[in-house]
Amino acid sequence: MAVEYELCVKSSTQNLAAIAEFVAERAREAGLDDDSIFDIQIAVDEACTNTIEHAYATRSDQTLRVCCSVQDQEFVIRITDYGTPFDPDSIPEPDLEAPMEERSIGGLGVFFMRRLMDSVEFSTHAYRGNQVVMRKRFVPNDVDSTQ
Amino acid sequence: MNITVTKLKRCDLLKLEGRFDSNTAPELDQAMNDSMDDGVFRIVLDMQDVEYFGSAAIRALVNAYKSCRETTGGDVRLAAVPDRIMHVLELAGIAPLVEIFETPTLAVGSF
Repeated sequence: MAVEYELCVKSSTQNLAAIAEFVAERAREAGLDDDSIFDIQIAVDEACTNTIEHAYATRSDQTLRVCCSVQDQEFVIRITDYGTPFDPDSIPEPDLEAPMEERSIGGLGVFFMRRLMDSVEFSTHAYRGNQVVMRKRFVPNDVDSTQ
Repeated sequence: MNITVTKLKRCDLLKLEGRFDSNTAPELDQAMNDSMDDGVFRIVLDMQDVEYFGSAAIRALVNAYKSCRETTGGDVRLAAVPDRIMHVLELAGIAPLVEIFETPTLAVGSF
């Protein structure tokens, strides 16, 4: 049975560094390489920032739950909040070809999540809250070395 | 996270260290605004010791870039960008638009 590790913190951006460290440590234990761990940290940081800024409208006294597990050679992160449901489709894709003068300030966070992870799913449940589940495929180091 | 500001004849040199996420990016925003409030629109960011640079930090960079470039000769230039941070800037489509130098000395000298 897959072991799931959970970190539960208040919805303050001051906790982003601790969340990043928690996720990196679990990913390192699972055998992911440093580049993949960095990608995961970015995706988790952006997802938690969206939760704090949109779902909780920057209220810092709410609950933010981050769970990590390994399932079928995928590192899986599930982030849960109990705020206003976040509609990722309401965020326009950033125009990466636009000159700097015309760059808008939004949309990069979700874009990073989708580019750096193998899958990103948003869902809303009446009792279980809002969840974003992100997956990153990997070959564990110990398996890799025996091939 | 730490920002050390050195006021030079040609520009302000901001040495950035640590994580720049949505918690700490406002301090980067503030530091660059402080330079502009002083009338300095030529800014170099020394990125050598940056561990993380998220979308909030990129927004701060884009905003300062726009403001500085509105003045004659004004610009925000980057120096010593670590590979992983460069990857983030490339992903965001920022890397080709900002002048990036190997060392702070070269970046400062470019003004």
